[in-house]
Amino acid sequence: MKLINKFTLWYISITLFVMLIGGTIAYYRVKKEIDEGEIERLKVLNGKTAEQIRLGVATELQTNGRPIEIVRIDSNVVSNTCEVVENSFYNPNINHKECRLTVNSYYTIDGQSYRISSYNYVTKTSQILRGLISSFLLILLLLAVLIAISARLVSNRILQPFHSALQKIHQFSLKDRKPMNLPPVRTREFNELNGFVNKMTDKMLEDYTALKEFSENASHELQTPLAIMRTKLDLLTETELSDDQAQMIGSIQEGIDKLSRINQSLILLNKLENHEFETSVHIPFCRATREAAATFSELMDMHALEFESHVEGKVHLPVHPALADILLNNLLSNAIRHNIPGGKVVLSLSRQGLTIKNTGEPPEVPTEQLFQRFKKGNQSSGSIGVGLAIVKQICDLNSYRISYVYKDSWHIMDIRFP
Amino acid sequence: MKVLIIEDNEELASSIQRFLTREGYICELSSTCQEAREKLVLYDYDCIVLDIMLPDGNGLQLLKFIRESRIQSSILISSARNALDDKIEGLEGGADDYITKPFHLAEMHARLRAIYRRKKLNGDQLISFNEISLDTDKMETQVNGSVLELTRKEYDLLLYFMVNKNRVLSRQSIANHLWGDYTDSLDNFDFVYQHLKNLRKKIAAAGGTDYIDTVYGLGYKFNTAKK
Repeated sequence: MKLINKFTLWYISITLFVMLIGGTIAYYRVKKEIDEGEIERLKVLNGKTAEQIRLGVATELQTNGRPIEIVRIDSNVVSNTCEVVENSFYNPNINHKECRLTVNSYYTIDGQSYRISSYNYVTKTSQILRGLISSFLLILLLLAVLIAISARLVSNRILQPFHSALQKIHQFSLKDRKPMNLPPVRTREFNELNGFVNKMTDKMLEDYTALKEFSENASHELQTPLAIMRTKLDLLTETELSDDQAQMIGSIQEGIDKLSRINQSLILLNKLENHEFETSVHIPFCRATREAAATFSELMDMHALEFESHVEGKVHLPVHPALADILLNNLLSNAIRHNIPGGKVVLSLSRQGLTIKNTGEPPEVPTEQLFQRFKKGNQSSGSIGVGLAIVKQICDLNSYRISYVYKDSWHIMDIRFP
Repeated sequence: MKVLIIEDNEELASSIQRFLTREGYICELSSTCQEAREKLVLYDYDCIVLDIMLPDGNGLQLLKFIRESRIQSSILISSARNALDDKIEGLEGGADDYITKPFHLAEMHARLRAIYRRKKLNGDQLISFNEISLDTDKMETQVNGSVLELTRKEYDLLLYFMVNKNRVLSRQSIANHLWGDYTDSLDNFDFVYQHLKNLRKKIAAAGGTDYIDTVYGLGYKFNTAKK
């Protein structure tokens, strides 16, 4: 839900609440005022009538045609008291319920007690209520509409620094190595936000640079001693060696080879995680696939594997060319390595995705786990166990969906392009 | 051939020097940018092996200096950083090739020869030994004067051996040469063996001598002493 809608809803519900209470108060006040006014009038009328009785004016004249009832009563009453009776009844003439307000006043004039009653019809409670509700509803509607409209107009203005900050954050890439530099704004909250984002991104840039430097240095520091070992061994192989020594050197060479590959793969993974391969250039993925297929078909032949490839033309994807190669190489080498004698590899590429499937023994660990680093299905294989982790990382980076299933003795690696 | 090795690691530099000296090249070493600059101004070199990270500067700056001073040497960049941007920057900056540490000496030698051949316009494209000759321009192989049909990989393999005659080439080095860095340990040695078998067969069929020896536990060797 948009912030502005939330605000609007809150305002409207507060207004509704206030109006409910206000309506109740208004209802009682209005009713009270009306009744009091009427009672006061009737009281005065009764008083005047009593005055006239005292002066001895004829009763007909006294009432003057007004609905005044004068009753002589025998019992003693406290003079100058009055009671108010309010009663509703059904008036069949107008087919309506009516509310009558009667004021009975008691007087003692010349030793004779009188009750003087006058009445009038007043506005009914339900009528007041109806009038109030309808007018309040109208006000509420007006308010809601005005709030909704003005909030929208105003919010664009007020939230403008927020939106521009959001856009900048969206465009921010560590790889650019450019600090965010959000400008100070007048709204305090947004100012705080901008300051915080600025500080955070500066820290991120710093950390990123440090990390990159570290990984580069680590690579350099490891590669150089490896290079020394490898070259010295190269030189050593040219000296007179016994078979035993030769074999030992061979094993060392293999070890160095593996070490160097692990190192390079880890560096590659690091770079992938640091998003150093971001690109928006579309490359012909179909061509890369065809080239990989051509390279690997030779290797398939050597392993006596049947290789089938269906590559659709004009598949262009925004991926770094080096990554496309690594992706294809890793998947195809896996398809060869984990195959069975006389097995088969099927490669198919379409605009929707890439599928590589191969025959093979059932996996020993759940297939999803094989995407983790150094997780190997077969511990004895020559693999160093980061091939699939790299593939996964490349897929994540380019938001491809990858799945690996084993079904009917086929290992199926399926990548869906976005 | 005269080679300048610009490399700050003494051990590595001495390995390269030893290897290349055995090929009959004249090798000189520089461990800093400053020293290299002085040597480059004073002497001519056919090839330069240039490390990117040097104690007193970046190899890429040195590369710029070399190109700006119109020094005609072929340049092979050797770097521990296989950062792609470095590679692109290096090649765009006028380097002829790029090799990532840790490399095999034979591989480095092959690349050095290749860029040297490319630079020389006076037709030194022919590499030959006895009855076998390779034309690197046309990528053609002849044995006893008749053309031998080789696959690309077989040709690359033979060229690698011919450049590194009498050297023990490890299977790793050969696999690396043929398939590059990203083969994530396919069972490469089988492939090397297969290619080699086919190559030997073809040379033998054309009446050539099988100069390639198997070195127990280590790899293979192009033995020129073989009759």
